[in-house]
This record gives sequence, C-alpha cells and structure tokens, in this order.
Amino acid sequence: KDKKAKAHRPLTKIILRRLPPTMTEEAFLEQVSPIPEHDHFYFAKPDPSLGNNVYSRAYINFVNVEDIYLFRDKFDGYVFLDEKGLEYVGIVEYAPFQRIPKKKKKKDPK
Amino acid sequence: PETITTPKEEEPPMHQFIRKILHEDLQKSNEEKILRLMRKLNWDDNEVCSVAIQHLAGGWRVRASARRALARLTAELAAWQESVAPAVVDAILEEIRVTMEDPHPRYNQRRIATVRYLGELYNYKLLDSKDVFTVLYSRITFGVTNDHSNVSPLDPPDNVFRIRLVCALLETCGAYFNSGSSKKRLDYFLVFFQNYYLFKYSDPFWTEENKFPIYVNYIYQECLTSLRPKIVLYTNWQECKDAIEEIRLTLYPEMGEEEQYDNDDQGEDSAAD
Repeated sequence: KDKKAKAHRPLTKIILRRLPPTMTEEAFLEQVSPIPEHDHFYFAKPDPSLGNNVYSRAYINFVNVEDIYLFRDKFDGYVFLDEKGLEYVGIVEYAPFQRIPKKKKKKDPK
Repeated sequence: PETITTPKEEEPPMHQFIRKILHEDLQKSNEEKILRLMRKLNWDDNEVCSVAIQHLAGGWRVRASARRALARLTAELAAWQESVAPAVVDAILEEIRVTMEDPHPRYNQRRIATVRYLGELYNYKLLDSKDVFTVLYSRITFGVTNDHSNVSPLDPPDNVFRIRLVCALLETCGAYFNSGSSKKRLDYFLVFFQNYYLFKYSDPFWTEENKFPIYVNYIYQECLTSLRPKIVLYTNWQECKDAIEEIRLTLYPEMGEEEQYDNDDQGEDSAAD
C-alpha cells in the first residue's frame, strides 16, 4: 500500500522555461513575486553553447499543489522582456526531474 | 547571416579553471585530486556555483574515456554540495528537451554524448530509473505523430537519430534494468520502442532506391538482443500495434477505446501490483 501511495505523490516541482537569456535572478524575482509558498527555488543561467536556443529557466517546488495551477495560469504564456525589449514567451511545466536538494546543509570540511 | 563579430569577452579565470580541471585534466587516475579541488571552490558564490553546475552537466564536452569519471565526481561532490545533483540533472534534461525542440543534426554528436552521460549519472544514482524512462519515452513520443501522412517537423521521416539515442542510453544503463519494477518498465518500453522503430522503418519515405539505413537497423537489433537475448522482435508495424493494444487492455481495462495509451505510467502501475 505504501508503494501505491508513493507512486501517486503529486508533482510539486515546476520549471519556467524560455526566459530571456540575459535575465538575472533578481529581475526574475521582481517580475514573478510574490511566489506562493515554496521550499525550493533555483534560477539557472543559460547554457551559451546551445547556439540559437539559449534561454534562462527557473525551478520552483511548491508546498501547495493548488498554487501550481494559479502560477501556471499566470505565467504560462507570459511575455517576459529582456533589456532590449525582445519578447520571450515563458512556458510553465512540471519539471521532468522532481528531486530537490535536501534541506539540511552539511558543511564541507574540505 | 549569423556572423555578427562581437569581440569575445575574456572568461573570468575561475571559469577557465573549472573548465580546465573538469574538461581537460580529468581522467580516471586523477579524479580524487580534482574532486578535492572542486570541493574547495567557493560554493556560496552564486556565479561560481552556476558555472560549476554547467560544467558538471557538460558530459558531452569531455572525452568518452573521461565521461564516467565526470559522472562519479559529480556524484561524490553531491554528497557535500546538496544542490549540485538536482541542478545538474535538471540542466541535462533541459538540454535534451531543447535539442528535441530544435531537431537540427548539428547537435547529433552532442546528443549522443549527453544521453550517455545521463546514463552514467543514473549508474551513480543521481536519478531514478523512472527518470531514465521519462527520457526514453520522450524520445519516442515528443512530436511523434505515429501517422505517415502527418509529417512532424520535430521528427521528420529521414531523421532516424532518435533510434540511436534510445540505443545509446540503453547501452549505457539498460543492463541494470534487470529486476523488479525497472525490469518490467524496460519490458514495456521495448514494445513501445519497437513500435517507434517500425513506424520509422515503414515510412513511405524509404524506398528501394533510398533504403532505410542498414546500420541503424544493426544498432537497434544489437541493442534489443543484448538486453533481452530471448526477445522475438516484431517484424511489422501492425503486429506491434496489436501488442500495444493488448498491453493497454491489460493495464487499463477501464480506459475507453479512443483514449491514448499513457506511456509514462506503464511501469509505475505494474510495479505497484
């Protein structure tokens, strides 16, 4: 029974894709704030080696499943602008990989 | 047209350093030493952290012989830097997605190397088998019409590279899908993979003069028979479609006739039995 419950755990981590490549984390947060209750946020800078397909992206792990729908309704298809005024249409999806970092931070003695 | 010559900015020394130790120096023999260097980076600096993650995710940048070492180093580093492992896997899955949205062949070598690297990361437990299957199924479904008269720009008839990518990933980590739920997942997947293969193979694009590439056929057969030596491959598309219909009826008897089968959950449900 445990297995079944585990298999049906709802997806909570979303990815917001196709953000402007030059966008900074601060600028992103400014635009989407306030983000509903979440326990993980990660803003990823673009991979410049992807040529014409360079975008920033952001990951959010929501605490309440309902917030995901509200967030999606607001930001899926939302037009983000870069500093030159170019338009980037954001896409909200469930992240294909749902793991997030564990909370407790170990200090690396190095 | 894209030859705008902007003077290249000099990369900050720290970026060059990370790139050098991970992509040039790293090999099996010096992995411990490079791990120690990586641990010493200032991980509290966002810039350093993000560059390090990008390079740890860049499995396609290293020589094939160093790929496993980079995967192991990433796994060992993840024990100290909790945020590294998910961020690296996220970056790779995004790359895989982006290079499916833009199916240009210029990425082909990179696609192969990236998918093999993902397989290595699975071998070091940075992701679950279900995540590997998500990637495998995306390769055979993303933009795939399963209808020869409806040509998909994302998966055009002459593009058989996805077959090679599936085989490359299975070659890297498929041998571990040999017990419990992952074994079942693979068994189901192989039916769907055959369906995809036969869909591509039977496309009217291929003719007597312009034959389906024989080497792809070899890679495909070799891959399936090495994973499942007793497998009897479907020889025509209809036969395989019938088999899928049967699976669907067994797993989802309550589903209506018109409903599409849901690829991703096949293994999940059978595992819960």
